[in-house]
Amino acid sequence: MSPTEVATDIGPAHLAVEGLSLRYGPQAAPALDDLSFDVPEGMRVAVVGPNGAGKSTLFKAMVGLLRPQEGRVLVHGLPFGHDKDCVAYVPQREEVDWGFPVSVLDVVLMGRYARLGWLRRPGRADRAVALACLAELGIDALAQRPIGDLSGGQQQRVFLARALVQEPHILLLDEPFAGVDVTSQELVLGLLDALRARRVTVIVATHDLQLAAERFDQVLLLNRRLLAYGPPAEVFRAELVKAAFGHQALVLDGVVLVDHTRPPAPHSGAVVVDGGAGHPASARPPGTVADTEPIRGGGGA
Amino acid sequence: MMPGIAILDWLSEPLRYGFMQRGLLASVLVGVVCAVIGCYVVLRGMAFLGDAMAHAILPGVAVAYLWGANLLLGAAVAAVAVALLIGAVTRQGRVKEDTAIGILFAGALSLGVALISSTGSYAVDLSHILFGNVLGVARGDLLLIGVLGTVVIGTIALLYKELLLVSFDPVLAATLRLPVERLRILILLLLAVTIVASLPAVGVGLVAAMLVTPPATASLLTRRLPTMMVISAALGAVSGFSGLYLSYYLNVASGAAVVLVATGIFGAVYLLHPRSGWLRSRA
Repeated sequence: MSPTEVATDIGPAHLAVEGLSLRYGPQAAPALDDLSFDVPEGMRVAVVGPNGAGKSTLFKAMVGLLRPQEGRVLVHGLPFGHDKDCVAYVPQREEVDWGFPVSVLDVVLMGRYARLGWLRRPGRADRAVALACLAELGIDALAQRPIGDLSGGQQQRVFLARALVQEPHILLLDEPFAGVDVTSQELVLGLLDALRARRVTVIVATHDLQLAAERFDQVLLLNRRLLAYGPPAEVFRAELVKAAFGHQALVLDGVVLVDHTRPPAPHSGAVVVDGGAGHPASARPPGTVADTEPIRGGGGA
Repeated sequence: MMPGIAILDWLSEPLRYGFMQRGLLASVLVGVVCAVIGCYVVLRGMAFLGDAMAHAILPGVAVAYLWGANLLLGAAVAAVAVALLIGAVTRQGRVKEDTAIGILFAGALSLGVALISSTGSYAVDLSHILFGNVLGVARGDLLLIGVLGTVVIGTIALLYKELLLVSFDPVLAATLRLPVERLRILILLLLAVTIVASLPAVGVGLVAAMLVTPPATASLLTRRLPTMMVISAALGAVSGFSGLYLSYYLNVASGAAVVLVATGIFGAVYLLHPRSGWLRSRA
């Protein structure tokens, strides 16, 4: 019996992080400082925080790419590693060479490698699953195309399709909305709805606070330490957002604006909300009406 | 005389000699093996590493020479040692990778030259090791090239999907629990084995060209890795074959002739290319 089948018997995944601390060197300040949180099965969580808050580090620790000095990650109540195939991780797109001579289908099939084991090649059934996942993301027509032909949004969808063929119980997406077109963003959000119906737990790192507020069940506010974790209405309060984003945050008439284009290091000076250099992101606590239409931030470019 | 018969004569004349038959077989085999593993060298950006590794095995060859042992055996021992050393130094990340390779490469090359120069027949032997002597390939060498080449191509075929994944996306490979570090070392070892097998034909100085040039040409012609490997292997074989004939008729050094053919094909493909971009390939 494969680990996947075991995991399927257990059912949708429950994720627990206990006292996680990670530093990149013995002298370095902790990149993650004593994080503890619990994600019930099927929950959709947005992880938000300024640049350098440790969002990517947290994800890498959760899939075992980085080893924390303290704490542990439990999936289904078991230490990480017992559920080989049930966590899928989609890194930021820049982490691979998109000029590599492989087709879209080749890349998606890579998600099946773990269940194939050594020496076996993907078969007809694997191809069928891969094509179905590509169709779900609206890019099955591109299956035979070289990956170098794709736009940023299409690349993101290929990465997502590759995560889907792993048939994960927990899906970790690192900045899936950074630099993608609106069509791709809506497709991804639609997919997240479909995954919720399948009770797949989804954790997304994002710069887009409005998206986090409107489309997610829970928000985890991170700046090396866990500052808040709960429903968007409770987390997106002025004092919490200011605690996470420091001088990047500006509160105007009950609307919290965060300017991702400002460097995160604290310094004095006037707060430029929309000075033409970049667009601030804003988070509106539900129930509060902004005078102006909040502009979605394009940070992380 | 009919032109067809003239060509046949032209082709068959060198084959009357046993050393030419062996040389032709050796250079075609080396051309193919280098061209296939060379696809990974090109895609992983290991060209400098391949060249450095080739030069860094010189001390092993020199020691074997001084002790009267088999030169290829000395090369093999040195190549494996160098592969593991480069793997270890580059993993730590305290010295930049290309700097570490540069240091190892120059140091080992100097050690090799120093050892060989301490013997009497420095110039002749060194030139054979540096640039190959494909016409001096013995039966035993040919057998060794065949066995090592089969090991390299067989491993690449068996572990195709693992090597592809670890080269394209080591992060996914790690989350799928593939032994990324061991696979990286395996690629270095395959490279070392290939270089040893290539020594009699093209020498340490020219093996890097056979590792890089045919795959680079193939990468201009296709955007699928399996197709790239096949085209690259064909180009390697053609270079090995026609280079040796050129060497016979123009009386130039065989290793150099083989590399010049490969370089000429690359230049032609690059220049005749429709755009500076890629040719479309649906293969």
